[in-house]
Amino acid sequence: MLLEVRDLHVEFHTRDGVAKAVNGVSYGVDAGETLAVLGESGSGKSVTAQTVMGILDMPPGRITAGEVLFEGRDLLKLKEEERRKVRGAEMAMIFQDALSSLNPVLTVGDQLGEMFTVHRGMSRKDARAKAVELMDRVRIPAARERVKQYPHQFSGGMRQRIMIAMAMALEPKLIIADEPTTALDVTVQAQVMDLLAELQRELHMGLILITHDLGVVADVADKIAVMYAGRIVETAPVHDIYKAPAHPYTRGLLESIPRLDQKGQELYAIKGLPPNLTRIPPGCAFHPRCPMAQDVCRTDVPPLYEVTESDAERGSACHFWRECLHG
Amino acid sequence: MGRYVVRRLLQMIPVFIGATLLIFLMVNVMGDPIAGLCGDRECDPATAAQLRHEFGLDQPVWRQYVTYMGNVFTGDFGTAFNGQPVTELMGTAFPVTIRLTIVAILFEIVVGIVLGVVTGLRRGRPVDTGVLLLTLVVISVPTFVTGLLLQLLLGVKWGWIDPAVSSEAPFGELIVPGLVLASVSLAYVTRLTRTSIAENRRSDYVRTAIAKGLPRHRVITRHLLRNSLIPVVTFIGTDIGALMGGAIVTERIFNIHGVGYQLYQGILRQNTQTVVGFVTVLVLVFLVANLLVDLLYAVLDPRIRYA
Amino acid sequence: MPDPQQPYEPERAVAGTGMGGQMDLGASEAITLEKTPESPDGTGPQDKPRSLWSDAWHDLRRNPVFIISALVILFLIVISIWPSLIASGSPLKCDLAKAQEGSQSGHPFGFNGQGCDVYTRTVYGARTSVAVGVLATLGVAVLGSVLGGLAGFFGGAGDAILSRITDVFFAIPVVLGGLVLLSVITSNTVWPVIGFIVLLGWPQISRIARGSVITAKQNDYVQAARALGASNSRLLLRHIAPNAIAPVIVVATIALGTYISLEATLSFLGVGLKPPSVSWGIDISAAAPYVRNAPHALLWPSGALAVTVLAFIMLGDAVRDALDPKLR
Repeated sequence: MLLEVRDLHVEFHTRDGVAKAVNGVSYGVDAGETLAVLGESGSGKSVTAQTVMGILDMPPGRITAGEVLFEGRDLLKLKEEERRKVRGAEMAMIFQDALSSLNPVLTVGDQLGEMFTVHRGMSRKDARAKAVELMDRVRIPAARERVKQYPHQFSGGMRQRIMIAMAMALEPKLIIADEPTTALDVTVQAQVMDLLAELQRELHMGLILITHDLGVVADVADKIAVMYAGRIVETAPVHDIYKAPAHPYTRGLLESIPRLDQKGQELYAIKGLPPNLTRIPPGCAFHPRCPMAQDVCRTDVPPLYEVTESDAERGSACHFWRECLHG
Repeated sequence: MGRYVVRRLLQMIPVFIGATLLIFLMVNVMGDPIAGLCGDRECDPATAAQLRHEFGLDQPVWRQYVTYMGNVFTGDFGTAFNGQPVTELMGTAFPVTIRLTIVAILFEIVVGIVLGVVTGLRRGRPVDTGVLLLTLVVISVPTFVTGLLLQLLLGVKWGWIDPAVSSEAPFGELIVPGLVLASVSLAYVTRLTRTSIAENRRSDYVRTAIAKGLPRHRVITRHLLRNSLIPVVTFIGTDIGALMGGAIVTERIFNIHGVGYQLYQGILRQNTQTVVGFVTVLVLVFLVANLLVDLLYAVLDPRIRYA
Repeated sequence: MPDPQQPYEPERAVAGTGMGGQMDLGASEAITLEKTPESPDGTGPQDKPRSLWSDAWHDLRRNPVFIISALVILFLIVISIWPSLIASGSPLKCDLAKAQEGSQSGHPFGFNGQGCDVYTRTVYGARTSVAVGVLATLGVAVLGSVLGGLAGFFGGAGDAILSRITDVFFAIPVVLGGLVLLSVITSNTVWPVIGFIVLLGWPQISRIARGSVITAKQNDYVQAARALGASNSRLLLRHIAPNAIAPVIVVATIALGTYISLEATLSFLGVGLKPPSVSWGIDISAAAPYVRNAPHALLWPSGALAVTVLAFIMLGDAVRDALDPKLR
């Protein structure tokens, strides 16, 4: 396994108390594999990713337990200086909003070239040449001229390509993309996603794709982890989950996707709101919103059951996964 | 850019005229411009009338203003109370105040920014709270009190400095007065830098810089500081004009013979030409400094484009 | 802003971040990564929606900075109305024989250069400062918010002219203006000083009021009220003013401290109040030449002045924090 997260716990100290953002998350991704992490905002998917990258703000964040194994070594035990050398070079991250994630007062050439001057000790001139090369590779037209421009002079799609170029710069083994297409126009989303998938294949990288958009996932992901209130509630190969979800929350998510073949029907929406992380409900955190909830759901926290009726490796954190799977 | 500068210069004209006219009116309406001209005695009516005619004071005020401004633009700022041309007074006073302002600005840049960066990076820690309280106290204590206290402590009690600055006013003697002049702005620069740093520290692009695996010092100097200092630089820029115009109190405490001193004398002796002349130059400095700051802003932040 | 020598220019100083947020001690330290939704899931206590003002009051009551500064200000107001509550003598009763003497029984702060009791004079000095601060602030706030509010609401030529006029005032150094205008006035009352502060202070409030009226004007509910045919005066008074007034109140509170400091500065320069008026500025100025022998005569009024200004500035800061929804 290229990356393995084991039983990760992260909490935040806020004015309203301790927010338990991540409560025992485990997942893994192999080289060349794409793991999609799904969930609403507040589900802990981004916090988990930031912990893996080592860019969590601490304080207020605090890692209370768990391991992040990258090629077998626990990144959480590394010294900051060693950790820094992993970031950017061996694993890289693509953020949602490229406009705010790029430095507004530096040219894109400077920001791309920085990867090479810092990590590879290249001269500024060579780094600049590399930057042009990278921009060509993510298919930005007139790269040689545009390398001197600032982020605000690019379109949204082009900016996200620059973010991708920056992440790819040192050919890392793992890419974490946090909602990489959410901020883009629908027409551009597919192009950017295709580019990302193409580069991943070429470089045989592991990809963790964080999203709340099930539509994006179906095309590119190999397996899916669904998160709710800081836990993984369901994990499965992508096709199995679309065929028959084993968790009522996943089912709710799937049913809330608009579909062309069901025109005229009312869209399904999961009732209620995600829980406040300072006051996660006892038992199964989803029970106040769950149509299948029973008394046991209010008291017992469901473990991640193995879904034995499947050929592939599947798990569901629902006491009634069987009913859900067949219902 | 060129068109923007021209437009700004055109906009400055009414402000310049308004401000100088306002001061001209204040001085004229409030005082008797020839009162000081006959020495300490009252002028006898005949001499007074003659003087009035000579200086054009029997003309309507607006005509006096036009005549005065006409002279100013040919380089004639009139005569001071002691018979010296005002330009001569300016020649000795402005270098002193400019030196004082330079010292003050240096304090703002060095001390203010360093304290702001340190506290901004350590928000909520004891250093931060301490400096923050200190800035509040500095802001609350009027400059003249700060000045008197520093003069008392450093000059009188401990004898580290000369309580009064000599007439040459070299840089060395202007360190403490410069600090006094800068004190309130210094506190503002500290707080502004602190807020700016603390805000940008949580920005997405700083997070990107960390995710890129850049060393901490590079994240701070190249990514965080560069952005955070934009508002600070503009504040300090606009402060230049304000400091020069506000040096009256500091110059009085430390007996510095600069612009503030000359203005004070001019006001006491109700000498229109000294007061209006100096204020004209100060207003010009203020307006030009503001324009330069706006242009500097465009250099510092490529997102700003003036049309 | 609290420096009487510099006009405070919020628009420039703010420049993206601003003085506006400088007191947010930890308030924005809350997690920024993943938002925890405010609405509870049914298990937690339900928070009732509150208005901006009651919300602010809720915050202020718990803020020690606010409580302390409010108590200090309350105390100052009480002793400026009834100074005899804590000082029995007269501030004008001086005995040259006791000049520069230090602390002694019945005279805890000692005597100044003219042999006046420093304690009594310091207590009585509060009256001048509070009167100047409060009255000048009222004048500035009324004049500035009316002019700025109307300019912001109606826009057009009047707005453009007003903006240029405020530019003119900002170009004149405040202390300098005070020296020129007040140097020829011989009145012993506080009125010339107050008049001068109002004259030079209104542009600051006017800019703030103009800006916040323009912001409030663009709110949907104002547009909706306009579409429903509300008259201009109704729009301004019922819909815009309540929402635009908060920044004016904050800036005015902080400015109040500044004005007290400005009065003292002008008195120090000899153009503000003049003896036999009792003012901290006058006393500090008078004590300066004897500072070597009688530092107490300088320190007590200075301290009182600093604490007063500090109290108003901190009060303004606390109110701003409470009213600024961004920091919530």
